[in-house]
Amino acid sequence: MTKNYDAVVIGAGNGGLVASARLAKEGKKTLLIERHNLPGGFATSFVRGRFEFEASLHELCGVGSITGKSPLQKIFQEVGAADKIEWVSLDEAYRLITLDENEKCDYLMPLGKESFIAKLEEYDPGSAPVVTKIFDLIESIEKTLDFVSNIEDFKPSMIKEIFSEHTEFLKVANYSVDEVLKAFGASKKTRDILNGYWCYLGQPTDELNVIHYFTMLHSYIIDGAVIPRGRSHQISTALLEAFTENGGEAWFNTSVEKIIIENGAATGVVLDNGTQINAKTVICNASPYNAYTKLIDEKDIPEKLKKEVNAKTLGAKGFAVFLGLNRSAEELGLDNHTYFIYPTNDNRKCYELSKKLETNDVQATVCLNKAFDDCSPEGTSILYMTSIFAGDAWSGVSVKDYHKTKLSFAEKMIDNFEKATGVKIRDHIEEIEIATPMTYARYTDAPAGTIYGYEASKEDGIVKRIVFDMIDKGIPGLYFAGGYTARHMGYSPSYTTGDMAAKAAILAMDKEAK
Amino acid sequence: MSRKKASVNGNFKDIVNTVKFLTERKRFIDSAAPVLPTRTDDFGVNKVARSLHPKEQKLVIDRIEEHSDIAKSYYLRSEAAPLACFKAGQYLTFRLEIGSAVVTRSYSIASSPASALNGEYQITVKRIANGFVSDHILDNWAVGDKVTAYAPEGNLTYNPLRDAETIVAIAGGSGITPFISLARAIAQGDENCSLTLLYGCRTPEEILFRSELDSLACESEKIKVVYVLSHSDEEGYEKGFIGADIIKKYAPEGDYSIFACGPEGLYKHLGSELPKLGKEKKFIRFEVFSSGKKADEQKDFSITVIDRGNESVIKASSSETVLCAFERAGIEVPARCHTGECGFCRSKLVSGKVFIPEGEDKRRIADMQFNFIHPCCCYPESDLVVRIN
Repeated sequence: MTKNYDAVVIGAGNGGLVASARLAKEGKKTLLIERHNLPGGFATSFVRGRFEFEASLHELCGVGSITGKSPLQKIFQEVGAADKIEWVSLDEAYRLITLDENEKCDYLMPLGKESFIAKLEEYDPGSAPVVTKIFDLIESIEKTLDFVSNIEDFKPSMIKEIFSEHTEFLKVANYSVDEVLKAFGASKKTRDILNGYWCYLGQPTDELNVIHYFTMLHSYIIDGAVIPRGRSHQISTALLEAFTENGGEAWFNTSVEKIIIENGAATGVVLDNGTQINAKTVICNASPYNAYTKLIDEKDIPEKLKKEVNAKTLGAKGFAVFLGLNRSAEELGLDNHTYFIYPTNDNRKCYELSKKLETNDVQATVCLNKAFDDCSPEGTSILYMTSIFAGDAWSGVSVKDYHKTKLSFAEKMIDNFEKATGVKIRDHIEEIEIATPMTYARYTDAPAGTIYGYEASKEDGIVKRIVFDMIDKGIPGLYFAGGYTARHMGYSPSYTTGDMAAKAAILAMDKEAK
Repeated sequence: MSRKKASVNGNFKDIVNTVKFLTERKRFIDSAAPVLPTRTDDFGVNKVARSLHPKEQKLVIDRIEEHSDIAKSYYLRSEAAPLACFKAGQYLTFRLEIGSAVVTRSYSIASSPASALNGEYQITVKRIANGFVSDHILDNWAVGDKVTAYAPEGNLTYNPLRDAETIVAIAGGSGITPFISLARAIAQGDENCSLTLLYGCRTPEEILFRSELDSLACESEKIKVVYVLSHSDEEGYEKGFIGADIIKKYAPEGDYSIFACGPEGLYKHLGSELPKLGKEKKFIRFEVFSSGKKADEQKDFSITVIDRGNESVIKASSSETVLCAFERAGIEVPARCHTGECGFCRSKLVSGKVFIPEGEDKRRIADMQFNFIHPCCCYPESDLVVRIN
């Protein structure tokens, strides 16, 4: 069987959903294909007993609750999904605790620029002038990015504007976070606290690009963060609803077996039931890694693309423990929404230690009740803990050892949490679910259980990706969206790249129509 | 803006550093070999994921064991790939074509997890009144037949981070299967808990796995077995239905977890008995086998089924689930648990009204908001339009 569409979207993850919703909104006949029975990819939820667990979202940035700067909300509004989602604003950034006895620390940081700077001044007296300077730079970088992303028609005069008005961006664009913070004279303590979010990007700050990290600080700390009341599944389903309301067609429990390449351009896909879908636009929310190693015939892949796939390194692999507790957050003493618990403040060391099961002690843990208490029945609470692994430690775990390994790592995370916070949770576990890299591989077909796309290494940092992706587009007709693309991984970047891919495709379609 | 523009190593060096990224990136890509890296399917993680959760498993009936005249055990081996391993207490869902119907049914795995690693599953099927699928299996399945099962699923499994060290298992009739698996796993050293099994049957003749249970209890200090007969008064057995008194009599001092598996009557009885124990919810776990709407007047409806752009209209009845209507009509949805729990059959209710029995609505919050349903526990109350897949 053969069917014709304007566009086919592979995968209903965050990128695929926004891309589909945008295409349908613009009147393109669009087919969305998803191998699982649910939309969302990582952005989903599951029910165990009397608890509904969020599968992956900790806090969402891009729907700003403080400054009202909401690039994501704008997208959701435009595609018709915004009024279907109920947001809850957060007021806390994170509580940062280290396990190392020699440098034990415990910092609780608020959202909001002024509050954040003031709190840092409390922890590190005298830091305010330096931190204010850093935030000035963060805002200056944001201005440049806004300027660049609002360019619709490029004019040569803009180059002059960039060189006169956006020099700070140009000067820091290729530095690491550490290089800039040190040059600004930030003390070690200030750097430790400011770098708390590093585990959300998975890269040590001695190589993580400063633009990348500062943009994230801007969207979390300055603009504010939210979470959806119906878990991320509410966002995913809202986008799907908006898509189908605008005439889009979504097929679940259906896999794409192959992307068809003719004369060097993508022209459609072949499904697992043999159906051929013809579409001159193929938006791929499956990772480029899977596209090139599974979905596209090797003979159709240009050499430079093979080099690119081979050069990049897969990012962090995920591990998560989901706990439904039979006491309220108050009764247990769970005072915070986001806990970052690290073996040490040296994030390079944390990263290296995270390559092995025995030494990985990184965790980011959320108590959902601190966002909205009625997320679980009265007298209960929800806590979910996420760890990340650099490297591929889990590929050494056999089927036979799987359950034991999974249990013992989960136990270590629970122990570490108790040790770090002094909160006793072990005796109150009513429901527990554990996700390993194998779980992520099962549900999303992630290579080696990767949840962070490609590593944002020095060579493959976000600025380099954005610049080179603009120059080099790969296979014509094939657009990538999601966590492996120019904006690196995360909810907000995936939605954004989904929108960018759809807009680029729409532009090309309309051009061809003329 | 009067603020002094920041620099890192001085303006000139900074710009030089920025320009450098062009060459850095080129070198990074150019220095890589023009070959594809490890295929996604070839990572150890992805291989283990596939082996734990295969899309489906083609099995062959290797031998059949008769338990008196009421039940049979089927020993299944894989046609090709190794069997998916499982945790004691999980079930297998089978896909069967019976006449024009395509149905799925789940059976708890009776064999030990270790047996799966050795290439064998055992399931035990008991004859029940009007058992459409169980009758089919008991009357038709023969040695050498090929059957299709999906990956093991289910949450009635022991987790030391959650459960007490002793499991007091309450089994009714063929609900023994997850617990014979657990007992075997304990005896083989694959699970660390202790098991006190309270096994309820009508008469001694209906007790399944009797001799094996007795010898497991004899050999392992961690396993105790108590038989409870409801319709027979004999020495050496407890008499009646399993309730708070019998549980208290055999449960250990201190914490213990109750796991229950059996027919609806058992759960009903436990529903009024367990509160007497005053246990926290976390220590009580049920496996639901099947559920049924309390029969009211039966009405006929139609369901318009949308499947990947194709529409068909099928018959439905208010006394049967939406999933049941799909099965009769030979429409396949990826159903597993049949109790509303697993969510595999999740579908969009485009229009119409359904009834969901109390306690069976285990949907996500947003699924309720956007009218997604689990057809396995929904009964039509009007004509429906449902989008599956």
